[in-house]
Amino acid sequence: MRVTIISIPVRDQEKALQFYTKKLGFLKKVDMPLGGGNRWLTLVSKDAQSGPEILLEPAPLHFEPAKVFQDALMDAGMPWTQFDVDDLDQEYDRLVKLGVEFSIPPREMGTVRYAVFNDTCGNNIQLVEHL
Amino acid sequence: MTFYEKKLRELRGTIYANQAQIDTIIRARNYLREHYGEPLNLDQLAQVHLVSKYHLLRLFKRYHGVTPRQFLIDVRIEKAKENLLAGKTVTDTCFAVGFESPGSFSSLFKRKTGKTPGQYQKEQLSRSNPSLDL
Repeated sequence: MRVTIISIPVRDQEKALQFYTKKLGFLKKVDMPLGGGNRWLTLVSKDAQSGPEILLEPAPLHFEPAKVFQDALMDAGMPWTQFDVDDLDQEYDRLVKLGVEFSIPPREMGTVRYAVFNDTCGNNIQLVEHL
Repeated sequence: MTFYEKKLRELRGTIYANQAQIDTIIRARNYLREHYGEPLNLDQLAQVHLVSKYHLLRLFKRYHGVTPRQFLIDVRIEKAKENLLAGKTVTDTCFAVGFESPGSFSSLFKRKTGKTPGQYQKEQLSRSNPSLDL
């Protein structure tokens, strides 16, 4: 078995695609129609294009418990998942300039620094820099 | 403050209370990141950071979740991939990232990535220079 997909539930796949590619800087890899306006839509990191893919899935639109769970995480400020960055301050400044909203600005926590932002599609996402 | 922030603060106060230990362990990891190309062992790592080797081993595992050796192997494999992508031979790559025998380097690389260094290099390079007209 291999790890290839990391799923992120989103309220609007097109909006998520724009946010994750234009602001976060991921690249679109697979975009396949699944009927009813839904897509199998995956992204990869620029510098690991054959690495794991993020799946932007429309689960909250079609399965109520997915929506309830996602809302609860959002309310509690909990990240759905996290991405590693080399320089958190630099990435934070870049994203703030692009209008991305952070609920937690860069902070130290033991051997890492972290920050949490809103992906505008229903999730908090955490960024981590290993010190 | 959100529920998440509150929980993180609690954790920080319990598992990350000893800043001196954290500083030591961050320095030890960065030392491995910078010196991966040299022959390294635990005695030397402990000496550089002025702690006993068993203390260092225990702290490293506690704060990073892996042993220094596991961490170093992962760094070396990642650096080996970069060297192979840059076109270096398997033997040159092996020595450049601090391994001492091309044979054991190749089998370790295969165990960690599923491919031998030669296969990995061939695949990656043909992917970036597509010869198929599709």
